[in-house]
Amino acid sequence: MRAVRWFIAIVVIAGVCWLFPLFHVVTLKTATAEKVAATFNATQFAESFWTNQLLPALTKSSPAEALIPLIQTEPAVAKKKYSRGAGGGDGYFYFVAGAGKIVAISDDEISIAVTGGSTNAEVSLQTGLIFGNALRDGTGLLSGNDYPNSQDYNDISAALNHLVEICVLPDLKAQAKVGEKISFAGCAEVDDETADLKPLKVVPVRAEFNQAP
Amino acid sequence: MNTNWLKLALAVLLVTAAMLFTQTSAAQSAPKGKIAVVVSTLNNPWFVVLGETAKARAIELGYDATIFDSQNDTAKEAAHFENLIAGGYKAVLFNPTDANGSIANVLKAKAAGIPVFCIDREINSTNAATAQMLSDSYSGCVKLGQLFVKTVGKDGEYAELLGIVGDNNTWNRSKGFHSVVDRYPGLKMVAQQSGEFDRAKGLEVMESILQAHPNIKGVFCGNDSMAMGAYQALVAAGKDKDIKVFGFDGADDVVKSIAEGKIVATGMQFPKKMAQQSAEFADEYIKGKRDFAQKIAVPVEVVTKENVSKYGDYGKK
Repeated sequence: MRAVRWFIAIVVIAGVCWLFPLFHVVTLKTATAEKVAATFNATQFAESFWTNQLLPALTKSSPAEALIPLIQTEPAVAKKKYSRGAGGGDGYFYFVAGAGKIVAISDDEISIAVTGGSTNAEVSLQTGLIFGNALRDGTGLLSGNDYPNSQDYNDISAALNHLVEICVLPDLKAQAKVGEKISFAGCAEVDDETADLKPLKVVPVRAEFNQAP
Repeated sequence: MNTNWLKLALAVLLVTAAMLFTQTSAAQSAPKGKIAVVVSTLNNPWFVVLGETAKARAIELGYDATIFDSQNDTAKEAAHFENLIAGGYKAVLFNPTDANGSIANVLKAKAAGIPVFCIDREINSTNAATAQMLSDSYSGCVKLGQLFVKTVGKDGEYAELLGIVGDNNTWNRSKGFHSVVDRYPGLKMVAQQSGEFDRAKGLEVMESILQAHPNIKGVFCGNDSMAMGAYQALVAAGKDKDIKVFGFDGADDVVKSIAEGKIVATGMQFPKKMAQQSAEFADEYIKGKRDFAQKIAVPVEVVTKENVSKYGDYGKK
């Protein structure tokens, strides 16, 4: 009789422990994998964003043939009409696409004349090391409000800049020649209203040659 | 007899009018309620300015305001939240001690119906605080990193003094800086230690770094208190002319040091602007507004010897 009671007690305790386990045994390999899976992967995010959101959004960029002349004559009007603000400060962004003729090439930039008949550098495609938030913040497609940890949001900037350096710049630098026609799209970050916008410094997302301006 | 009654009636009327006037004035000047300003530490002058400005703006808006000093201790911070929830405060202007550790305190206040507005330091949540006004430390340090390379050069050894390791600002600043300097293989970071955003600790850490690495060309400090401590260590070692110091915050003593050519640059964070705005947000919330952006990035401006005349008193002149 006592043995039966013990048996029943053990079965009940075992059943309770099975239903409500006091601890879980997880292998170190699984724990590491779970931690990695829970960590935001900025590189993966940036690659997906580039293909699925950024490239399709190029059709919504501001036309350079309208923006550039306005920046040169009425920068405040250009800012009001075409820019996107950066938080509560003086900085702002342009998301721009257009075509023109290459007028100069250096290690860090390719200068382009955009307006008809101009030989001046009006747009400068940045071809050196890419820093800053032009691509992350310039299109309005991403918002810091969606990221609990701002470090993740900031990592997106670095990952997007890296994509420009490996996906856009090698071909652009290899094929660019003075006098050649080029079409481009990208984002420009402007610190404040005292910034020199002649030329407008654009981080390129796309660049193609032999396109009529 | 009639005259006496008339005098009495007039006296009663005057006294009643005076009492009514006094009550109305008192009602008009009575505070609208209490606002708590919970600050991570008052050991750093920058946070004193942040807390005092938030308090002053809350008082201007008609509230009673009290500052609570968490002394960089999450347990003290939790006790402050318990007290302010029990104390009937209407809103909290909050400078957290820990991006993760402070979330629970904000959630407690939220559950009690008290809105929390984070200032300068972030919590890793988008559904706890009503709004967070945060310096764009990453972008500011990208600019400082570019200036660092321009000033120190593309080759040589350098050191970094980190802030409190549990604070997102520490890593946003470090990551912004490294997103630039790490692209130059000739620049080698030989020491990276926490000075805990503290001047004395910054001095102590810099002294030990100098002993192990006497050939460094520059030091990037995650805040201005540590930059002042590091500079003090360099002066004591006779190396203040050789090693370039960079800070972050926009503290008055560093802005003056930049003007005197002692420190190369800092990132101006505009603590007064953030503190005032947070108090105004709290007032708007109490009056009924609910649609606040969760995270508002306040741009940081780089202060150098060339533009230092434009800055002072924790902001732009």
